[in-house]
Amino acid sequence: MSVIAAPARGRRVPEGFWWVFPSILVLLALSIYPLLYAVKLSLADRRNFTRLLSDRLFFTAGVQTIVLTLAALAIEFALGLALAVLIDSLARGRTFFRTALLVPMLLPPVVAAVAWRLIYNPQFGVLNGSLRRLGFDTSHLTWTSGEGSALASVILVDVWEWTPFLFLLLSAGLQAIPTEPLEAARVDGAGAWRIFCDVTLPLLKPTIVLALLLRGMDLVRIFDQIFILTQGGPGTATETVSLYIYRTAFRFSNFGYAAAMSFVLLAATLLFSRGLLKAMRAR
Amino acid sequence: MKIFRYGAAVIAVVIALAPVYWLVTISLKREVDQFAYPPQWIGFTTTLAHYREAFAGGSFAAYFENSVFLAAISTVAALLAGVPAAYGLARFEWPRKWDERIGDWILSTRMLPPIVTIVPLFLMLREARLLNSLSGLAIVYTGFNLPFVVWMMRGFFEEVPREIEEAAMLDGESRMGALLRIVLPLVKPGLAATAVFCLVVAWNEFLFALILTETDAAMTLPVGIASHVTQYEIQWGVMSAAGVVAMIPVLIFAAAAQKYLVRGLSLGAVKG
Repeated sequence: MSVIAAPARGRRVPEGFWWVFPSILVLLALSIYPLLYAVKLSLADRRNFTRLLSDRLFFTAGVQTIVLTLAALAIEFALGLALAVLIDSLARGRTFFRTALLVPMLLPPVVAAVAWRLIYNPQFGVLNGSLRRLGFDTSHLTWTSGEGSALASVILVDVWEWTPFLFLLLSAGLQAIPTEPLEAARVDGAGAWRIFCDVTLPLLKPTIVLALLLRGMDLVRIFDQIFILTQGGPGTATETVSLYIYRTAFRFSNFGYAAAMSFVLLAATLLFSRGLLKAMRAR
Repeated sequence: MKIFRYGAAVIAVVIALAPVYWLVTISLKREVDQFAYPPQWIGFTTTLAHYREAFAGGSFAAYFENSVFLAAISTVAALLAGVPAAYGLARFEWPRKWDERIGDWILSTRMLPPIVTIVPLFLMLREARLLNSLSGLAIVYTGFNLPFVVWMMRGFFEEVPREIEEAAMLDGESRMGALLRIVLPLVKPGLAATAVFCLVVAWNEFLFALILTETDAAMTLPVGIASHVTQYEIQWGVMSAAGVVAMIPVLIFAAAAQKYLVRGLSLGAVKG
């Protein structure tokens, strides 16, 4: 009933098409056209792609992006799941804890990073100040300004900021699990740990997959926090792909090479987004 | 055992909130106290001087206005284009699963890393003489939020039984009339939540704003704050004050849309 015939050529245009049409136009102009433009920019000079293969800094940035993504994802998942189970097991105050734990994720990322710059400063930051007060020697704790500790410090900020995201999604997943299988396992005499591994985790798996993909996709493009915290330094210790592309395009005005590099990032994102689309449709 | 669990939960909350609290204290402290040793968590002399300096004398008032304007205009634009699209995908018969294909395509544009499209968008806006203008940034934000609106609203529309609007249409309502007078009022909470998410995304956004604006006329609050961090001598008080002001609207909005937080953050996938 909803399919009408377009009179001119007798071909059928679905009625819903005209409702979707304006959005398609906007997205063609603001996503697809820029994408093709980037292809053109990167192909203007063949050397853009050969240069990629021998660019040491790009390689370093790529490796560091992967390390950061995997490390942050693993820690945020473990902590998020632990917190979700913990808060779920509390008899009262659950809403309070849940709300308070979400705050870091809601802040503008720039503001969160500014707060951490205040905290990390080796000389007058509150972190070293508090540790000194507790009797620790902080002279070697340089956090984001030390070459060896900068990447770990950036990861720590991301863990602080985004564990709440994993926590929130996994919490919702836990609450949606039906109670019957858990009861049945309990009646059968299974211990808490067995129930968690054999019943809860499998039932939670779709939510886990979705949460990891969503977070992972954002991690590979990380920019804001690092831009504020370290600008990629000291040296190249916290350089990531997004930051390097930014610098190439907007400090050195090499748009073609920046576009070529951005396709590597796009390829990495596609790995995530294909899985994500599947996970979202499965729900 | 029970005490242990509550203890762990309290520690987690303290860790989550301490950095935010510290930022607030810095914004309220006199300069001599900001980096005093031992760190002063409570009982310091408070002053509003940094807030005054940032917003009464400084340029942050302009950044704040820019941010408000941008968030509002891009949210309205994204809703105007996205709500009909969501309705179209949710309600009409589509041959050969075209609704799913279009929906997936729309969502996949949201998954593009901003750094991929930013170079061409920068060049396009430069050509159109829209760099350093709020309109240029508003257009980009609209495109960024549109896929989100379509996915969120499609989910909300699908939850409204078709019979309701079919009955209205039998009573003589047009399709548009049924949407405006019957369906939209039913999904009002979802619509409000979707709008809140768009507002927050535009408010928090940094990368596009950083690259597409350079002057006070179009700079947003996050870019204004960032440009103060990278300066040689950082005015921590002013910056913290601006940061505190930047986070307040987000926290208020999040509290208002709390019921839909999970749904929005998962792009509509987890109904929460």
